[in-house]
Amino acid sequence: MLMSSTAGHAAGNVDAGRKLFGQCAACHAVGKTAGHQFGPMLNGVMERPAASADGYSYSDALKQAAQNGLVWDEPSLDAFLESPMTYVVGTKMAFAGMRDEAQRQDMIAFLQQIDSSGSGATATVEPPAANSLVSESSAPEAQRPLARDTTVPEHGVLHLGRLALPEEVAAWDIDIRPDGLGLPTGSGSVETGGQIYDAQCAVCHGVFGEGAGRWPVLAGGFDTLSDERPEKTIGSYWPYVSTVYDYVRRAMPFGNARSLSDDDVYALTAYLLYLNDQVSEDFTLSTDNFASITLPNVDNFIADDRMEEVHYASREEPCMQDCIPGEATVTQRARVLDVTPDNGDDDNAGGGID
Amino acid sequence: MADSSDISPVSSARRIALKAGLKLGALAGGAGLVGAGQVSAAATPDPLITEVQDWNRYLGDGVDANPYGKPSVHESDAVRRTVSWLTADNKSSINFTPLHKLDGIITPNGLCFERHHGGVADIAPGDHRLMINGLVETPLVFTMEDLERFPRESHVYFLECAANSGMEWRGAQLNGCQFTHGMVHNVMYTGVKLKHLLAEAGVSPRGKWLLPEGADPSHMTRSIPIDKAMDDCMVVFRMNGEALRPEQGYPLRLVVPGWEGNMWVKWLRRLEIGDQPWHHREETSKYTDLLADGTARRFTWTMDVKSIITNPSPQSPIRHGRGRTVLTGLAWSGHGTVKRVDVSIDGGRNWSTARLDGPTLAKSLHRFYYEFDWDGSELFLQSRAIDEQRQVQPTKDALRAERGVNSIYHNNGIQTWHIRPDGSAENVEVS
Ligand code: HEC
Ligand code: HEC
Repeated sequence: MLMSSTAGHAAGNVDAGRKLFGQCAACHAVGKTAGHQFGPMLNGVMERPAASADGYSYSDALKQAAQNGLVWDEPSLDAFLESPMTYVVGTKMAFAGMRDEAQRQDMIAFLQQIDSSGSGATATVEPPAANSLVSESSAPEAQRPLARDTTVPEHGVLHLGRLALPEEVAAWDIDIRPDGLGLPTGSGSVETGGQIYDAQCAVCHGVFGEGAGRWPVLAGGFDTLSDERPEKTIGSYWPYVSTVYDYVRRAMPFGNARSLSDDDVYALTAYLLYLNDQVSEDFTLSTDNFASITLPNVDNFIADDRMEEVHYASREEPCMQDCIPGEATVTQRARVLDVTPDNGDDDNAGGGID
Repeated sequence: MADSSDISPVSSARRIALKAGLKLGALAGGAGLVGAGQVSAAATPDPLITEVQDWNRYLGDGVDANPYGKPSVHESDAVRRTVSWLTADNKSSINFTPLHKLDGIITPNGLCFERHHGGVADIAPGDHRLMINGLVETPLVFTMEDLERFPRESHVYFLECAANSGMEWRGAQLNGCQFTHGMVHNVMYTGVKLKHLLAEAGVSPRGKWLLPEGADPSHMTRSIPIDKAMDDCMVVFRMNGEALRPEQGYPLRLVVPGWEGNMWVKWLRRLEIGDQPWHHREETSKYTDLLADGTARRFTWTMDVKSIITNPSPQSPIRHGRGRTVLTGLAWSGHGTVKRVDVSIDGGRNWSTARLDGPTLAKSLHRFYYEFDWDGSELFLQSRAIDEQRQVQPTKDALRAERGVNSIYHNNGIQTWHIRPDGSAENVEVS
């Protein structure tokens, strides 16, 4: 079943829905090679009973709803997507919901035209009209202003580009520094942070920041940095609290970046400090007290001194002949802890790439 | 281990052989590794020569069968591969360049390893903007068209992830140079020197640091000292002649020659000038090198001198038996050019200097060869690079003695491949 790009029966627009699917892609896959990820694979989800994809382990809540007759059709999916956690109380789909009805319609139209084999998931891309990196330049000559009538800006050396407007700089310049530069005005409490965290973060990072599955651990690990298996968290490793604010604001929640308000980020930062035993449960983080927070590991970072290591500092001509006595003997083999993908063993036996 | 490059010719030979009523055993292409190529005197004439083959007779595809050409179907295993357990999710994950399938110094665009933190952003070039703000006289916005009006340059640089070989700190782990060393690629970039863009905005004398930022959902940021930015950094839109691939930051990425790959921000949308570093997540939580005593090095930007034997290696065993053997590999240094590569076949007892071939460009991969007669006994292959600053690639144990095993990043230790008498190869460590 392949429908034309805008034809789903739902009122929505398939292409718009495809773009919106970026919000779901952190947890769901669609398409010919899609499998279950954190959430179930969504090929052909419309018109199938809830919680019915083979090989996926659903929450009891969704299984129960399915037993009570929940089938994914336009009205039910619309209600679920608007607020998953209120429509199916206890679902493990920790997604805040799509408030905008038009967006939900687009999403449903997109999901509707993906059949169980996954066709319909990817767009058929139309080649750009012009043979240039810049598609705007395809306007026919006649419609363009004459070169001699255009103006050349005065700034700079080559007079290229244009002035950035203050609103534009404000929209993109969201970075925070340890000295507080860039911090927006606002505040947020541990309590509020806990609510947002449970709704939007705990599904991946665990209720206590312990990390679900292989998702990153955010709390704990104190005094483990010189252990055999150190645990690097905000509390045990990160030098500055500004980094927490900056990172959550720019990149989290994974799959829905830039969706949090400044006060939400204050509250989440406060809550992450609380999970790491840095503040008490009645604490409120604000622009005014931000600078008073120091993380325990701040003094344990040193400058790059690799060039002073013996092997580099000596600058010796390397040995060419009879450098090591005796024959080479094997001390370690990859085979012993073979985790190469070819060997079908999926266990993480050793280090990682972080 | 799938290695179909030698399967396809055999199967077409088998088809011909059946047609010709011959027994397959008479042909080259046996089961074992050694012997496959031992054709001192063929017992029977080779039907691949004596028979007219399909491709000798019937017409192949015409022009335009593939408007964008693809590799031969017989090269289907020359692909990037991932190791799924390394990361939680494939939107923030990595895969590896098949170094054992490549030669020369340039990495084809489709084989350059990937590392994303929020999936591959899909940006129409007409919708892309680059902003310069912070401690500058004039904050500016450029379109892609604006950027193409700056003076362009092309340079070949390697990009290595700081975590390349990071799985090997505790000991031999992954079997194949694709997995142990495949987070490196080498590309000719075309774009604009960053100093031209910054001059256009006018950097304040107080401006000491640069913060590049990506337009993808991770909004990747790193702090770069202004001297490096003004020296050889580039903002590029082409790789190996064509537009950047989406997974390499289309339409615009930063190039930071010789420095860790994480700093080469993809989907580059903003450059901010400041007077202090930002200490963002990718330079505190990540990309800091934890030492044995619990302290950590930060701002370890340069990729040190390193080399790897790509063939033979676990994914590319010796199949031809004893006799003439070509050993080859790659060497590079973030400090400049590689001056010399030595090779040992006895686990570091004795070394011979390899032949550097092709262009030797600063902060680029170098190709080396070492040809020798293999007597069929077991080998312990190692390579050791020496760069223009006379830094010598250290052993893994020398690195461990200084840093412990929890650094994750910057493992440039000497790699050992054990070649068994049947020609197969394995990742080992030797004493
Ligand atoms: C944070 C991860 C996450 C995100 C983001 C997410 N989902 Fe889910 N989704 C899940 C999980 C987990 C389940 C399984 C729910 C259960 O078992 O209770 C699920 C279940 C579903 C189901 C029911 C499937 C079935 O087989 O019954 C649908 C439909 C669905 N999601 C659609 C979406 C859409 C559309 C989006 C984006 C707008 C989205 N999800 C975003 C994690 C997520
Ligand atoms: C769908 C899963 C998911 C959700 C939901 C999620 N995260 Fe994350 N988080 C990740 C992943 C994946 C990374 C690592 C990304 C990378 O390395 O590129 C991460 C990284 C982080 C880090 C940095 C960890 C480190 O050690 O460097 C912090 C802090 C964080 N998340 C906070 C949050 C907060 C706060 C929320 C809720 C607003 C949230 N996350 C929601 C998946 C998730």
